[in-house]
Parts: sequence; C-alpha cells; structure tokens
Amino acid sequence: MKMKAYPSAWALQEAMQTATTRWLRRHLLTDTQHQALQAAYKPDFYRPGLFSRIGLMLFTCVGVAGAAALLAMFGAVARLEDFRLLGWAVALGCLGAQEIFIRELRHYRSGTDSALLYISLSVLALLLADWVESLTPLSSRYSADFGSPYHTLVLLPLWGLLVLATLRYADRLVAAATYLVLLALLANWLLLFPMGRLLLPFALMLAAAGVHWLVRRLRQRPDYPYYRSCLLVLEVLTLATFYLAGNYYIVREGNAEISGLYLSEQIPLAPLFYLFTALIPLVYIVVGLRRPSRLWLLVGLAATAFSVFTLRYYRSVMPPELAAVLGGLFLLLLAVWAVRYLRPARHGLTSLADADQPTSFNLESLVVAQTAAVPAAPTPGFEFGGGQSGGAGASGTY
Amino acid sequence: MLLSHLLADLQARGLLPPDQIRAIADDEQARPMSLHQELRAALYLGITLLTGGLGVLLYQHLDGIGFLVLLAVMALLMLASFGYAWLRRQPFTWGPNAPGSFVPDYALLLGCLLFLALETYCQAVFNLFGSRYGLATLLPAVLFLGLAYRLDHRGVLAMGLTALGTWVGVSVAPLSVFTTNALFTSRLGIAGVLLGLALTGAGLHAEFTRHKPHFAFTYISLGANVALLAATAVLFDYYPQPWLPKWAAVVLVLLLSAGLIWYARHAQSYLFLLMGVCYGYIALTYTFIKLLDSSSGDAGVLLSLYFMLSAGGVIILFMHSKEFLRRV
Repeated sequence: MKMKAYPSAWALQEAMQTATTRWLRRHLLTDTQHQALQAAYKPDFYRPGLFSRIGLMLFTCVGVAGAAALLAMFGAVARLEDFRLLGWAVALGCLGAQEIFIRELRHYRSGTDSALLYISLSVLALLLADWVESLTPLSSRYSADFGSPYHTLVLLPLWGLLVLATLRYADRLVAAATYLVLLALLANWLLLFPMGRLLLPFALMLAAAGVHWLVRRLRQRPDYPYYRSCLLVLEVLTLATFYLAGNYYIVREGNAEISGLYLSEQIPLAPLFYLFTALIPLVYIVVGLRRPSRLWLLVGLAATAFSVFTLRYYRSVMPPELAAVLGGLFLLLLAVWAVRYLRPARHGLTSLADADQPTSFNLESLVVAQTAAVPAAPTPGFEFGGGQSGGAGASGTY
Repeated sequence: MLLSHLLADLQARGLLPPDQIRAIADDEQARPMSLHQELRAALYLGITLLTGGLGVLLYQHLDGIGFLVLLAVMALLMLASFGYAWLRRQPFTWGPNAPGSFVPDYALLLGCLLFLALETYCQAVFNLFGSRYGLATLLPAVLFLGLAYRLDHRGVLAMGLTALGTWVGVSVAPLSVFTTNALFTSRLGIAGVLLGLALTGAGLHAEFTRHKPHFAFTYISLGANVALLAATAVLFDYYPQPWLPKWAAVVLVLLLSAGLIWYARHAQSYLFLLMGVCYGYIALTYTFIKLLDSSSGDAGVLLSLYFMLSAGGVIILFMHSKEFLRRV
C-alpha cells in the first residue's frame, strides 16, 4: 500500500490553478500563457465548492447510517449480535469505500471521502477504548480523572493511528486531532507526578513551541504541497495552544478543575501568567503585521479577544455596556483610520481588496440579517469581546 | 513556501521562461497583504458593539438628564451617519454600484442600527406610535428598503426584509410584537409561508426584469428559507393545521425545493442547490416514513435501505452538480 492516499500531482494542480489566475490578474502572464498553464495543470480530480462538500458530507453520513442499520439487522437475523463485529465491519467498509471513491471516482477531499475517513476513525477509536476497558481491572475502570496510566493505554495507540492516518490522507481535521491527542498524552503523563501540575502549563507551551518549530522545518520537505493544509492547521493550533496554555483564565480554572475545587483560587506564579495573557496576543499581532502573516494576525486578534474576556472575568473594569460602547467606538475609529492610512499600501499592507479573497457580499447580507437586531430589552449577560452584541436573532426580539 | 514548489515545477517542466519566473517570484515577495476583509469585520463588529452598548445604556438611564443627553448623542450620530452615506452616494442605477470605498456602506449600516434603537426606545418611553404596533415596525421596513434601493446596500436590504417579517408577524398575532416571533408556533406559520413566497417572488422579479438583480440572492435566500422552514415546521407540528394540511405542506415543500434547484441551475448557485436538496429530502423522507407500514417486520430493513440508497442518489446528484448547474 502506498503511503499517500491521493496522487501528489493533485495538490500541485489545485495550487497551480489558483496561482495562475492570480498571476494573470497581476499581469504577470499573458492570456495564452495562462490558458497553456491551466491546461498543463488541468485538475483530474473531483473537489467541489464548499456548499457541495457540505452536502456530500451530510448525505454520506446518512448513507453510512442506513448501511450500518441494515448490517445490524442482518446480523440480528444471523444471530451475530456483537457490537464489535459491527464496528469492525463499518470501519473497514468505510475505509474500503473511501479507497474506491479516491481511485475510481477521483475524489480529493470532496466531503464524501473525508466523511468516510472520519466515520471509520471514530469507530476505530471507540473499538480501541472498548478493548482497553476490557483489559483494565474493574476497580480502576471508573476513575475518570486525568493522570491515570489507563488513559495512556487508550491515547497512545490512538495517537499512533491518527499519525498514520494524517501521513496517508493529509486531512486537516485528523491532523488537528493528532496534535490535540499528543497534548492530552503529555498532560496525562505529567499529572502522574506530584510536580506535574505546576509544570503543566510550561510543558504544554514548550510542546506547542516544539511542534511549531517542527512544522516550520517540515515546510522545507519536497512533499510540502501535499501536506500544506495540514501544516497550516497545525500552525494555527500551535499558536493557539501556546497562548491558551499560558492564559491566566485557562491555568486557574484548569487547576481548579484538576483539583476538584468548586471555586477556583489564586494560582502560584500568577504575575507570570498575567504577563503571558497580556503580552502573547500583542506579540502575535506585531509578528502578523510585520511579517506579514494573516495567520498570526488572526490568531493574535482572537487571543486579544480572549485576553479581554479573561480580564473582565476576574476584574470588572467598567460596566459591560460602557465597555461595549467604548470598545466599539475604538474599533470603529481604528478601522476607519486604518482604511485611510493603508491606501494604497504601506509597510507591506493594504486596505484595498485583494481579488484573491472571494467577495462575499451575498453572505455578508445574511450575517447582517442574523445579527443586526437591536435588543428590545436590556440583556443582563451582556458580554464584551466575544462579538455578541446582546441582540438575539433578527427574527426574534425587535 | 508553496510558491517555490510551484515555480520549481514550472521551471522543471520548462513551461515559462526563467526571467518571467523570476518576475513572478519578485512580485509575490513585494505584493502587500490585504487587510480588506479584516477591516470590514472590525468595522461591523465595532458598529454592533457600539449600537448594542448605546441601546443598553439608554435603557438604564430612562429618567433624568442623562437619558436626554444620550438620546441627543445617538440622534446626532444617526444623522451624521445618514448624512455621510448620503453625501457619498452614487447616481442611481438598476445595476450594482461601481466599487468604491466601503466606509460609507458601514456608515449607512450604523445609521440604520441607531435608527432601530432610537425608534424602539421612543416607542417604549414616549409611546410614540401608541398601540399602532404595525406602524412601528412598518416604518423601519419602508425606510430601510428605500435606502437599500437608493444607496445599493445588501445589508440594509436584509435589515429591511427582517423588519418586514416582524411587521407581518405583528399583523397576524399583534400581541407577540415585542416577544419572540416564534416561527414554530402555528399562528405565524401561514404568515411565514406567504411572506417567504412573496420575498422569493420579489427576488425572481428582481432577477428576471434586471431591477437590481444582485439583490435576488438576499431576497430568495431569506424568503425561500422562511417559506420552507414554516412549511416544514407544519409537518412536524403535533396538531394538524386547518389552513395547511400536511399533504399540502409536503407538496409545497417539494414544489419550492424543485423551484430552488431550478433557480440554482439558473444562478449557478451551490448554496441554493444544497438548500433545495436538503428540504426536499426531508419532505420525501417524511412521506416515505408516513407511507411505510410500521407494523410489518420489514419496515426497519426498508427504512435503512431507503436511507442508504437515497443518500447514494443524492451523492450522485451532487457529484454531477457541476454539469447539472452548467446545463441551463
């Protein structure tokens, strides 16, 4: 069996299609050259747009559910009422069907093949958990706490399975799951030791930084186009987990959760975590603007929002409605200033539309219809920073 | 990173001359990063936060001098926003406006949101419209629709249609004006169906008579969704509806879904295809389950067979959607 499920040429074809269109628009190619390149890299795979992918994924799940129910009924007739047998049949059947979809129908992350992969991996994970549970002695079976060696027994083979699946299918969601399972393994191992809880945030931050470094190294590999989307997802996740592992709210509430406290209490080294919470988003934004990198910038903005939430969760600086007015005004003025300042371009940034990004006016109007309702009554739980304006759905409150 | 792979492949296959490849590499290096979408999102977020916060502040200072000051500030801000958007207006056309700065668009949005907030509180405090709730909701609808057409703004159009929906809900069940306009309660069902059909018709009219054809998406996506949702809700309603029997709801959903799929072919829209297929599938599945003799032993087998085969059929439809949408 080959290591890669899809031909590597597909990744290159897909990337070249968008790149040549961009070059044509920037007058770097002539029309004939553009057509020649489009023909030379003509995609011979099937990958529809977002909405078709959603539909394909949805109906693949319906179809698999129907097939699984049918199998279960035949099993019942044949007196084979074993959950494990059915699970194996579904998992292997999905993997086989996926192989057919890729080889014969040339699906390339079209929704159908991804859905089949997700279903079979989740069923395999369930079977694994079931198998480990049958191995564990009854007395420790229900200790759901983190920091038990039995979790390692589940997580380690699961991680191996996910690594293999990522290497073969280069799927974004699977790659993300692989990384998160790795972090869970690390946390679980650390919590076996008494010192582990103190070290946990730092260990997670170190792990995130390490994986980030690894991801940047992996970009140099010749098969980078095949794994590009995975590596992008991992980059986002490592940045996000690095920030979250040092965030005061996460550390404090996580500590309380692990200790089984109802009310969280002050944590050791709190000033250090204040510093992390305040500084990491700013560093992300600065790097994002200087490099420039959209990925760092967006993660930095999301981290800023979460830091504001953290601050407001523990200290009420001002009433939420006042904070919303001032914050909204600040955002508004900042954006208007930036629009004017960055026209046409400064410091490698511009506020003009990049035709790379699809103009989504149409979907924007739906967002307005969903969110632009003024609350008819004051809402007590008015949150700042989360993007919730306190207004309910447009069809609702007015 | 990806670029070097692409250029290396182009060079290896000799598809472009080397100096052109170098020019492309230089251009990609020098190309500034566009913050267009981020700034738009920041503007929108700022506007919603500002108007939401002002609305709550207004409610908290219902008495005293602070209220009047706030009211005056909001009114001035609203007039300023409307004025700015109006001064920067483009000459009226039935087509889309020429692309320009997007700041006036957001100023208009801010003005509309402030208008809604002010109107709501004037009604609540001064009882401006008395008990004529219909007028209170029809006014913003008319204003927003007019502004949307004159200033060519799809977001304001969506707000106007939302206000129109509230007005229709009002005239059917006047007491639920300022509570939830629950689509799933039966009294609003028929209004939802009719409003949805009317909006869909308006969208089709806009599209085919070329009167603001780019508004068609907003009309049809909001309208068809409301109509389909209301009709689908009837199917799962425990009490049968006198105004829309279940078989009629099934027929209506199927007809509307077919219409949406037809329109998806016309507009080359995968979103409408997805909507049409999903609602149609729900109605078909409902009919199948109703027709199925649940007492017989084979019902389970038939049902799972149905799901398996129908899902397969839909997948095949989606896989051919590209040719399907192109074959108009």
